[in-house]
Amino acid sequence: MAGRSFRKIILKRIFNVFLTILGIMVLNFFLTHMMPGDPIDNMVPRSPKFDVSLKWELQEQFHMNDSLIEQLGWYMWNTVTLNWGTSYVANARPVFDIILGDMRWTLLLVGMSTVFTLAIGMAMGAYSAYRRGGAFDVTATSVSLFFYGMPVFWLAIVLQLMFTTHLAGWNWWPQLPPGGYYDSQKFGDSLSWTLPEIFSVLEYLILPSATLALGTVAGVSLVMRSSLIDTMTEDYILTARAKGLTDYQVLRRHALPNGMPPMIALIAMDIAFIIGGAYQVEVIFNYPGIGWRTIKSISDLDFPVLQFIVVIGGVAVVLANFLSDLLLMYIDPRIKIT
Amino acid sequence: MSRVTSIEDTHNDSKDRRHLSARGVLLVVASVALVLMLSVPVGLTYGSDSAPSLRASGASIAAEPVAVAGLSTNVTVGDEVFLNGTASVPSDGATITSYFWTIMEESGTKLEIYNYSGSMFNFTFEDTGLFACNLTITDSNGLNDSDSFFINVRARPQTFLEKNMLLLITAAILTGAGIYLAFDAYTKRKAGLPMIASSTKEKYRLGFKRWRKIMKQLLKNPMGAVGVFILAVFIFIAAFGPWLAPYDVKTIDPFNDLQKSSKDHWMGTDNFGIDIFSELLYGARTSIIVGIISAVIASFLGAAVGLYSGYVGGWKDEVVMRLNDIVLSIPWLVLMIVVAAFVGKIDLTGIILIIGLTGWSTTARMVRAQVLSIRERQYIERARCIGSSELAIIRRHIFPNTFPLVFANTILTVAVSILSEATLSFLGLRPVGVVTWGTMLSFASEASAFQQGLHWWILAPGLCIVAVVLGFTLLGYALDEILNPKLRHR
Repeated sequence: MAGRSFRKIILKRIFNVFLTILGIMVLNFFLTHMMPGDPIDNMVPRSPKFDVSLKWELQEQFHMNDSLIEQLGWYMWNTVTLNWGTSYVANARPVFDIILGDMRWTLLLVGMSTVFTLAIGMAMGAYSAYRRGGAFDVTATSVSLFFYGMPVFWLAIVLQLMFTTHLAGWNWWPQLPPGGYYDSQKFGDSLSWTLPEIFSVLEYLILPSATLALGTVAGVSLVMRSSLIDTMTEDYILTARAKGLTDYQVLRRHALPNGMPPMIALIAMDIAFIIGGAYQVEVIFNYPGIGWRTIKSISDLDFPVLQFIVVIGGVAVVLANFLSDLLLMYIDPRIKIT
Repeated sequence: MSRVTSIEDTHNDSKDRRHLSARGVLLVVASVALVLMLSVPVGLTYGSDSAPSLRASGASIAAEPVAVAGLSTNVTVGDEVFLNGTASVPSDGATITSYFWTIMEESGTKLEIYNYSGSMFNFTFEDTGLFACNLTITDSNGLNDSDSFFINVRARPQTFLEKNMLLLITAAILTGAGIYLAFDAYTKRKAGLPMIASSTKEKYRLGFKRWRKIMKQLLKNPMGAVGVFILAVFIFIAAFGPWLAPYDVKTIDPFNDLQKSSKDHWMGTDNFGIDIFSELLYGARTSIIVGIISAVIASFLGAAVGLYSGYVGGWKDEVVMRLNDIVLSIPWLVLMIVVAAFVGKIDLTGIILIIGLTGWSTTARMVRAQVLSIRERQYIERARCIGSSELAIIRRHIFPNTFPLVFANTILTVAVSILSEATLSFLGLRPVGVVTWGTMLSFASEASAFQQGLHWWILAPGLCIVAVVLGFTLLGYALDEILNPKLRHR
């Protein structure tokens, strides 16, 4: 691809990214305003002695009496200047702090499970494709499909039961904490990251990250398998074999690099979506990440928090797609981006 | 083309008629099956109990006040229910100072709340659904206690006409089709034309042959065979489940709640006293219907958007694709909750619309990519040269070429839709008035079924979802392999 047209394509893509992010912000503003229910009603304690002036005061405080256009203007300006306002609930903490705090735990959880997912899924998929139709392929593919069809929340509930009670009186069965993110009874309300506390955090991480990994490993291994099978039927593989390369060399030098593009797109998608929230796992294991916060802010009608979670999730998806496209163009010059 | 028929052979033998009647029988069977599938979810919300008056019972002496609201029960729409809360007075001589009732309708995101002060009152239920009634009392020491129960409000008994509405409509349609066919046959005979033109016959013969070939390949493919087998079992359950079920799932029985599995109740009963095994059988139909119809809606929208965007190209394509990007980037849960707000009360139709209206973006992208490559083929150029209109090109050349892909993708989308329904139910967007595997799981996890020893309540619906999703996924992959020319030769 000639340099100038390449630069032109990149510029167009960057422009598109900006346009999409802008669209997400506008759409998001209207979506959250169309959500059912009045947040102020939720903030005022529900009691027979209901004070109307309190409601008016709160409406004034959160700019709810301005026109929609004015609110949209404020919202755009505040988003860009990172002045994300305060939550309607949660002791009116700044939204930025809340999201930053939750993001740490989500990244830890997601990072942990993604590493396992990629390592296991890609190895499984590659080996299945390599020995296509063999015993390992059949077993691995059926197990993958089984987990692929499983609601993640159901898997979480079942695993939670399996590792928090002694099934059938088996006392040797390992026990794991059912929920939370560290042993708060033992270490108090705040973490100081000493060694035993880090171990506690890791122990509480095992079950949620294993659930998340089991739920996503199937997708990775299936995509890896089918993409490799696609490349294995190409003529250059035949040529490589004819040259006398060993099976391993064919796989390593010719099949794997050419089978990677779909994987990269999938990984980008996965990471982006997971930043948007591993809702089900976080809700069941009571893990205080972004997904857990999303559900909480929906039920509390906490619009400021919800808005920025959606924006961050959307921007993550857009950026991840953009980066994966760039990477694909770089490693595979045949790809024409329209 | 009508002139051509005159030079075709006009032997009007019994084979042609047999062909016609076979198709007629197929049509009737399919229609009856469809009606059977559709009629029961509609009839699910109906019952015919008379209104009971709810009386509180029992009093105990305790250090704290104890509220007694009553027992869960079934009533019919329009019934005036007498709610009478009592409380046992604590032993230290305190008196009850206030009674506070809350009646809350469970309907997805829209909560309707009624508050009443006072120990007893009459309440008229004007809506079907499940209502949670909660009584909170406070005594003179400031201590309080609350108790709650559910009232299951069912629609009034149906008249004969309402009950058989779908059947009657189907009968009317079938009669109409019959009259049309008879009239058609009469005019053709009068004009001396063959009952079925040979060209038509050939078309159907080829279509049938192709279909049989695909079926053969499907059953030879191990994934396809397993998928077809699983789905056959579950579609049988979906069609006949309500007749196989040992209990009714719409009548709550507060005296038999949370029973462990026994000879009477194979999988136990839930917190409303409903037999879990029966719910599982009823749930097959609703879950599969939700999956199929919402997948069809999503595929239809996606194919339409993709065809349009890919074919017209230019700035219109850009606008559509940017919008599509935006929709794809918004977290799906938030999107679904907002769509739910538009849809209003979430019942079976509501949940189908929510899933269908949010799931089209990926299909649109896929179809667009396919159209982009088809658009440049030579036969499109040729069609344009002989003066085909744009619509004709899309309809006769582009759509048929994308159809196999869309079809295989729809089957895969059914699997995703069934999972979405379960997840939405679990996260609180629960369709009211129907039993699906998702709502079962949602109630089970709210009632912490495992701690109650009711393992089947969580395991059975989950395993059913896994099996059906697996069936649709396998079938989808197999069809993709058969129908997608790129994958056929590997």
